[in-house]
Amino acid sequence: MLKIKKLETGYGEKQILFGLTLEIREGEIVALIGPNGAGKSTALKAACSLLPVWRGEIIFNDNIINNYTTAQKVAKGITLAPQASRVFGDMTVMENLEIAGFQLSRREFANRLTQIFEMFPLLKERIRQYAGKLSGGEQQMLSLARALVPNPKILMLDEPSLGLSPKLVNSIFNKIVDINIKTGVTILIVEQKVRKVLEICHRVYSLKLGKVSFEGTPKELVEDNLKLKNLFL
Amino acid sequence: MLTQLILNAFISASIYILIAVSFTIIFRVVRFFHFTHAVIFTAGAYFVFFLRMELSFPFLIAVPTAIFASALLGCLIELTIYRSLRAKSTPPLVMLLVSLGIYIVLQNIISIAFGDDTKIIRSNLITEGFNLFGARITFIQGLTICTTIILLLLLVLFLKITRTGKAIRAVSSDPELAAISGIESSRIIIWAFAIGSAICGLAGILLSFDVGMTPTMGLTALMMGLVVAIIGGLANVSGIVLGGLLLGLAQQLGIWKFGAEWQDAIAFGILLGFLIVKPQGILGKNTKKATI
Ligand SMILES: Nc1ncnc2c1ncn2[C@@H]1O[C@H](COP(=O)(O)OP(=O)(O)O)[C@@H](O)[C@H]1O
Ligand SMILES: [Mg+2]
Repeated sequence: MLKIKKLETGYGEKQILFGLTLEIREGEIVALIGPNGAGKSTALKAACSLLPVWRGEIIFNDNIINNYTTAQKVAKGITLAPQASRVFGDMTVMENLEIAGFQLSRREFANRLTQIFEMFPLLKERIRQYAGKLSGGEQQMLSLARALVPNPKILMLDEPSLGLSPKLVNSIFNKIVDINIKTGVTILIVEQKVRKVLEICHRVYSLKLGKVSFEGTPKELVEDNLKLKNLFL
Repeated sequence: MLTQLILNAFISASIYILIAVSFTIIFRVVRFFHFTHAVIFTAGAYFVFFLRMELSFPFLIAVPTAIFASALLGCLIELTIYRSLRAKSTPPLVMLLVSLGIYIVLQNIISIAFGDDTKIIRSNLITEGFNLFGARITFIQGLTICTTIILLLLLVLFLKITRTGKAIRAVSSDPELAAISGIESSRIIIWAFAIGSAICGLAGILLSFDVGMTPTMGLTALMMGLVVAIIGGLANVSGIVLGGLLLGLAQQLGIWKFGAEWQDAIAFGILLGFLIVKPQGILGKNTKKATI
């Protein structure tokens, strides 16, 4: 579904990714792990055109989409819930969801909203509250909901568990699996909580210094502790 | 005396507020100092002068056409110049210089076309006045205050209710998050230029009805508008309204106590005071990433 081929990018003059190649197939949950600063967030940003691609290709359903703008990628069905559960803090929960549904017609949005509230009943009670006033867990739910509003084909999540209590971490991971099973949406998830994400993903890539240092099944890593440790050295 | 002072403060505050609001709408989505805004102000006035005094159009046609032309001018500058520079990730400081360059060129064009002397639009409507609680106010001054109030209400409603208005707020507050919500920021920026330039042109028209026009009028006006915008934290309409009233009152008090030549000193004194005592007013919490 989504292929990233020999991707090179960075910030200004500073190169961060040196030929990153990965593939996510339809319906999968793929985890992207690796030490801090390896370039995981950078890879997601480049995949949705928040950063320019210097070299390489982003391929979606066999089309090269390097030159699409971020908004055009959303229209194609590629969305991102960015790191640190970014929401529009000075807007209400409802306004956040409306903006997330910017490309939908009124009817589509209304339908989508019903489904979103079924997935996240808590948000429904909070629609009039300012997003900046929500708790960390609620903001994370809103961030996830926002990325789901456009009804994506592939959902990219950047550390959805960041800053959450262990209990909330479990509930957000359950939610992610739930969404994947019920809606069939493909998921690419970046995570620091490696053990947790290995429990829910189908395949895993590990990044080191802007390149893939491991590619395989979570089983390989769960059973070989040393191998897993080495990925983070 | 006091009523006259307050009334005068409201009149000048109205113009400041219109400039500050229109500047802020554009500034928050483009994130550079759009200096050309000053000449949009001037252009609005001269458009009316040209249509009314040289082509003899009635006011009811000349004024809306001039407002539209101001909006168009702002959009054209964005489409022909800023947009391609932005695509090359030109730093904000360079954008400011480019904007300053366009300002100088356009101001000179106005100067060559109409001369540097003060131009007046003559009409009974403009000079006729009436008494209000013992203070004197001309028709156009009353119109300036009313127009400002109505425009601000409409603007707030637009930003709160409409899809485009919400998108403008989204791009202002977090452009990346707006983009991954599917908002094409280039379209929103055009909207901001259209609305901002229309309001700015209208402010120029209103001021020129009251005191006449010169090719450099926009520069002085933008400076005052900026002081107000900065006091207002370059953020929301309510902050700007408070800033405008504060500056208007302080200036009128200053004129009354010390004389008219102190106006600018008072404005920049207030600005300095805010920069020192309440710097968070300068860069409101959502414009942290923006530089000059
Ligand atoms: N906006 C930025 N400007 C410059 N360098 C950045 C920026 N964001 C991240 N980096 C650098 O890029 C590298 C990779 O960052 P990132 O992709 O966020 O890593 P990860 O998500 O894997 O922890 C780091 O060295 C980081 O310092
Ligand atoms: Mg990261």
